[in-house]
Amino acid sequence: MKHEIEFIINGQNMQFTVDSNQTLLEVIREELGLTGAKYGCSTGECGACSVLFNGEVVNACMVLAPEAAGAEIITVEGLAEEDELHPLQKSFIDHHGVQCGYCAPGMLISAKALLSRTSRPHEEEIREALVGNLCRCGAYADIIKSIQVASRARR
Amino acid sequence: MNAFDYIRPQSLEEAGRYLTSHAHVKLLGGGNTLLLNIKKGLEAPEIVLDVKHLPGLSDVRYHHNQGLKLGAAVKLQHLAAGLEIRRHYPLLHQTAQKLASPQVRNRATIGGTLAWASSVSELAAPMLCYDAVCYVWSPRGKRTIPLSEFYVGDGRTALARDEIITHVHLPAFPTRTYGVYQRQTVRHDGRRMIAAVAVLAIRKQQALTHWRIAVLGVDDRPKRIPEAEELLQGAPSFEEVEQALALVQERIHPQDVEYARADYRRVVLQSLLRHGIMEVIQHLQGSRS
Ligand SMILES: Cc1cc2nc3c(=O)[nH]c(=O)nc-3n(C[C@H](O)[C@H](O)[C@H](O)COP(=O)(O)OP(=O)(O)OC[C@H]3O[C@@H](n4cnc5c(N)ncnc54)[C@H](O)[C@@H]3O)c2cc1C
Repeated sequence: MKHEIEFIINGQNMQFTVDSNQTLLEVIREELGLTGAKYGCSTGECGACSVLFNGEVVNACMVLAPEAAGAEIITVEGLAEEDELHPLQKSFIDHHGVQCGYCAPGMLISAKALLSRTSRPHEEEIREALVGNLCRCGAYADIIKSIQVASRARR
Repeated sequence: MNAFDYIRPQSLEEAGRYLTSHAHVKLLGGGNTLLLNIKKGLEAPEIVLDVKHLPGLSDVRYHHNQGLKLGAAVKLQHLAAGLEIRRHYPLLHQTAQKLASPQVRNRATIGGTLAWASSVSELAAPMLCYDAVCYVWSPRGKRTIPLSEFYVGDGRTALARDEIITHVHLPAFPTRTYGVYQRQTVRHDGRRMIAAVAVLAIRKQQALTHWRIAVLGVDDRPKRIPEAEELLQGAPSFEEVEQALALVQERIHPQDVEYARADYRRVVLQSLLRHGIMEVIQHLQGSRS
């Protein structure tokens, strides 16, 4: 079954025709060409495909495309403003939060969701917020540090 | 994924028409179990009915006499963060906070989670302790199912294939309760559970009453052990606690899994439960009335 859907992604209004059994991740990557969100496990475990869905972090591989009708979605591409990287992105670069980089978009999205609730999270809160994001390089220590520094630096 | 038609019904009646006219219809909540099953080829519905947007299913209402009414489409994240939950049903709050990940909690619904009748379904533990009742609608009528009768074993529920959980009701619980949720899992996010327990009691003058013990991962369903709860009424002695623990061992039937043998699951459960009961006793007896 085809669905005409409309949603807002990274601030832009989009109209699309999607199939019932397409995932939101497929649409974001293959139709829109926004390849920041990654295919990982495709079972909701690794968090590489994390996006903000109406302000909340979800795994885009576990959302059906037609469910996104009317939603507001932010991917890692939507974090930067104009040419200015988001403070979290800068901090990931400065503090080596990116090793192979595959998990980074998902990590950034989870971190962004955390910072919009809690401006100065404790290490434990950061760890809890990242429970759904796996890093196979094991760069967790630097990822946590990157988030901590970014949260302190925020105005 | 196999082909199916995604449909977002506007009313229960509309949902009911699909349930009646088609044989392979599945309800969609947060999709954490359903989409996984479809991806793995374990289920191949013709129609996926998204029931999250049905009117009233996202309502949360608390009343100090009537208790808590939770719509079936309310997200687990609300249980982890909602103030009324934290204050009046702390064990529910405590369990939900640890359940899976933010990504899962932001999508998973109460209806879909209860209908996922795995013996390791963590939400079941506090819900059983608080005497939750499922309110169910079908084109044939409405009925209520106490959660204690909802799980019928081997991952199945008492729901008929055309029934939709519309909400869950938790009766008002006296204050001065204390509850503990303890789990032993291989993974930090709660997956690969060896065993888990929820323990709850209420302090009335000097006595500890309303004991609740719910166990996960050690039987073919999440369940309470009422005979053991009975033994703890009053102010249980160490002997009575040990008797209750022994009784629980008689009532469980753990299975071997690749990461834990059945006898190990028994030992782990025993230890979690002893710890849980002692913590509840210490906390409630230590608090001033
Ligand atoms: C990565 C990952 C990690 C997880 N970790 C944990 C964990 O640590 N602890 C834990 O306990 N669980 C865990 N889970 C399981 C998770 O909690 C459940 O998959 C989820 O809560 C199910 O809810 P849902 O709304 O997503 O259900 P869905 O997948 O949408 O539905 C599940 C079932 O319920 C039926 N259903 C949906 N809504 C209704 C309704 N209103 N009435 C009747 N039937 C309905 C569906 O048809 C389906 O059969 C994990 C899952 C994933 C993917």
